[in-house]
Amino acid sequence: MNNSMIIYILGHVIRLEGLLMVIPCITSLIYQEHEGFAFLVVILACMLIGTLMSLKKPVNQTIYLKEGCIATAFSWVLLSIFGCMPFVISGEIPSFTNALFETVSGLTTTGASILSDVEVMSHGMMLWRCFTHWIGGMGVLVFLLAIIPMNSASGSNMNLMKAESPGPSVGKLVPRLKHTARILYAIYFGMTLLEVIFLLFGHMSLFDSLCTAFGTAGTGGFGIKNDSFTSFSPYIQWVVTVFMIMFGVNFNFYYFLLFRNIRKALSMEEVRAYFLIILASIGIIFVSLMNTMSNIWDALRHASFQVASIITTTGYASADFDQWSQISRTVLVILMFIGACAGSTGGGMKVSRLIIMFKTVVKELGSYFHPKNIKKINMDGKPVEHEVVRAVNVYFITLMTVFTISVLLVSVEGRDLVTNFTAVAACLNNIGPGLSQVGPTQNYGSLTGFSKYVLMFDMLAGRLELFPLLLIFNPCVYRDMIMGVVRRIRRGGDMRRAS
Amino acid sequence: MFGSKSGKKVGLKIIIVGCGKVGVAILKQLANEGHDITIIDKDPQKVATYSNQYDVMGIVGNGANHSVQLDAGIQNADLIAAVTSSDELNILCCTIAKQVGDCATIARLRDPDYSKEASYLREKLGLTMIINPELETAIEVSRVLYLPTALEINSFAHGQAEMTRIKIPEKNVLDNKSIADLGKDLASRQKPINILIAAVERNGEFYIPSGDFVLKAGDIMSCVGTRPMSRKFMEHIGFKTARVKDTMIIGGGNVAYYLAGQLINMGISVKIIEENKKRCEELSVLLPKAIIINGDGTDQEILNEEGLAETESFVSLTGIDEENILLTLHARKHSNAKTITKINRSNFREVINSLDLGSVVYPCSITAESIVAYVRAKKNSNSNNIETLYHMFDSRAEAIEFRVDEKSDVTDIPLKDLNLKKNMLIAFINRNGSILLPTGQDTIQVGDTAMIVTTETGFTDIRDILA
Repeated sequence: MNNSMIIYILGHVIRLEGLLMVIPCITSLIYQEHEGFAFLVVILACMLIGTLMSLKKPVNQTIYLKEGCIATAFSWVLLSIFGCMPFVISGEIPSFTNALFETVSGLTTTGASILSDVEVMSHGMMLWRCFTHWIGGMGVLVFLLAIIPMNSASGSNMNLMKAESPGPSVGKLVPRLKHTARILYAIYFGMTLLEVIFLLFGHMSLFDSLCTAFGTAGTGGFGIKNDSFTSFSPYIQWVVTVFMIMFGVNFNFYYFLLFRNIRKALSMEEVRAYFLIILASIGIIFVSLMNTMSNIWDALRHASFQVASIITTTGYASADFDQWSQISRTVLVILMFIGACAGSTGGGMKVSRLIIMFKTVVKELGSYFHPKNIKKINMDGKPVEHEVVRAVNVYFITLMTVFTISVLLVSVEGRDLVTNFTAVAACLNNIGPGLSQVGPTQNYGSLTGFSKYVLMFDMLAGRLELFPLLLIFNPCVYRDMIMGVVRRIRRGGDMRRAS
Repeated sequence: MFGSKSGKKVGLKIIIVGCGKVGVAILKQLANEGHDITIIDKDPQKVATYSNQYDVMGIVGNGANHSVQLDAGIQNADLIAAVTSSDELNILCCTIAKQVGDCATIARLRDPDYSKEASYLREKLGLTMIINPELETAIEVSRVLYLPTALEINSFAHGQAEMTRIKIPEKNVLDNKSIADLGKDLASRQKPINILIAAVERNGEFYIPSGDFVLKAGDIMSCVGTRPMSRKFMEHIGFKTARVKDTMIIGGGNVAYYLAGQLINMGISVKIIEENKKRCEELSVLLPKAIIINGDGTDQEILNEEGLAETESFVSLTGIDEENILLTLHARKHSNAKTITKINRSNFREVINSLDLGSVVYPCSITAESIVAYVRAKKNSNSNNIETLYHMFDSRAEAIEFRVDEKSDVTDIPLKDLNLKKNMLIAFINRNGSILLPTGQDTIQVGDTAMIVTTETGFTDIRDILA
């Protein structure tokens, strides 16, 4: 286990967080809020600790998959802990557990909040809260790869990217990882900017536009109003709907659209299926809403907004969908599990996994007719490797296991099944609001500390796609790490004796 | 490091078809130099492994397939190197690539049938470069056999200058001698010897020695000079300079065939031991002057029968590295022959270097070196300003010969006034065919070629010598 490299990466991550906190700090300065000092303290702490940890560049910079996963998992834990400090220090969210929950929820782009009244928050804190969505959406380590020259020649950094990027098989857009990361962030940044401009046209203030755009881009879902999007104009709701859907699309699609060929982009099976699912869901909910709403356009708007919000795992609400018909609520819960496309900022199981699983089932059915038939599953006209299929199946089983255990643990508290079920579903799939007592008009504040920690774990597990986070519960990891330290100390002793 | 350089020095877009030993050797070297590389191979496992191990993009498919090439971005590529095991596929790859993009094409051709016509093929098919690793290996082996006391001989300036790598034996005159003293010795002779000690390897470290550096027995030193001067120097330090009279080659592959042809031309008698009867018959037709023995080269009895004890040189060229190493170790134990070992795999170099094997040749490095030299030159100016490039000391140091085509900051200024980089040495300047070992007063002029030895790899232009 390459301990020194893990520490080095973690140091860079912490320092980067300190740098990113400068933005809300400046915001506080502009609005002349004393919360700025809380940021300043944390920035200094991050800089100091981060610099100390990354002071010595390790000689051996090779990291394998295990180191990549562990570095990623620890990065996210540390990011959350440091990220929640401003809330605690400034006293806006005095309880550490609550502040941590809010930050984890922000970074993992879940958007589940414990706050009952967000409108009283200071501007700086509000921006930081929404900005965590933007940071977490594309990933911190991907950002790190884009800017920091860590041994560029070896491909071992690919293991960091693999651990953090969502999807069954992570590929590169261009030969070099650094350039790939840069392209991804350029697309991400460009689309965020575009949304801000569109929102400004809807007479939203710049601050609100920024917060909303950050939340949409990371498919997060922290609202800036207590009633989320209910009170905003239809224009703004439509803009947000479109951008939510856009951020849920595999970013490779945009790359192909921009640089290569449009035909290749349009023939991406995953994106097609994604839009198909969206259209079908909107259709069902629209028909169902027509019974209760008089205005067709209102019904269409709410149906589209909600479908987009849930399938991309954003979690904004334009209406209290907990009050909708059973069929609409069921469709939304199913969408929670499907999630957005791989390689997007959204969470959930990912459409591509669904396609692969669906095709596996079809293949299995076919094998009853022709037991000796050999057939490979195709995706985008290319055969899917057996390894990928296996990983998808294992992922699904693990997801269900984690889900079941979490529901069991949360239900100790004694709430109704719908609340527990949807709370875990909404956190594990990084959506935010569930149904019933954690519905769009409610919040997670009333849960006990234990449930909150379970849900925090779910959120991180969901964002990192389970295995990197589960790996830190593997005792082998710590045995390896400790043995590495012991060996080094022993070797140091030998060398001293020899000299 | 890349950010600080000007925009001109961005990496090239390179496609490598085939992830065999040679493909990986090139990949390893070029990935370190910051190029955008895409690899194509039919084996998904290999593509996955190497695209993870190095920072490159991998495409699974047939490299000669047009749509696969499009996937790999052939339209914008600067260079495609086809190094699969099949000559025909390599040619096809390059020909197809040529139809789409305006990229340079390099093909590996191994079959003697094709390589005889290499220049014809290159011209007619519009290939930039044809590489025959076996032929290159054979040339390198024959050079060493010509001066068997050297470990390795690399030629520069179209053969005008040579870099000779030798190991200083125990109780040699060079033992415990400083470079400055050696210089005085050589200059005080009746006919002065003009030679330069460019590099010394000692205990896994690489030194570019200064005047007060003291040589020790066991050091491996590389010296640069004209061919006659090198010979005289070797005589001066008590090394034999006569070429070998006969050689025993184990394994009758392509390298053996090329090598035997060259040695026979040089008047050295050749004995090839090959296991495959059919191949023996082929060789006997191709090489009527050579003695072809049909037998297992790893059989001690056959080696003894064929006179291992008396042979002057022993070259192990079988297809299996381990076998070659064992054969060489055996030969060194039972004879005083000069031994040369061919090693295909590029890993475990450290262990191999620590064995007492005599000279070792790596065909895949030879191929990689010529491709890297081409890429470096192309990256810089699109004109080929690098004449030759050799990797020294496990690729941690390089000897490069640059052509100086235009006036620049380094030309016409005495070397002592230039602000040169450390860990670097100008070994010679070739002016109109005469080799000059430079002193502080000498200048580099337009039209010269200059050879640089450096531990800082990645020089692309003569101007890179400036700090």
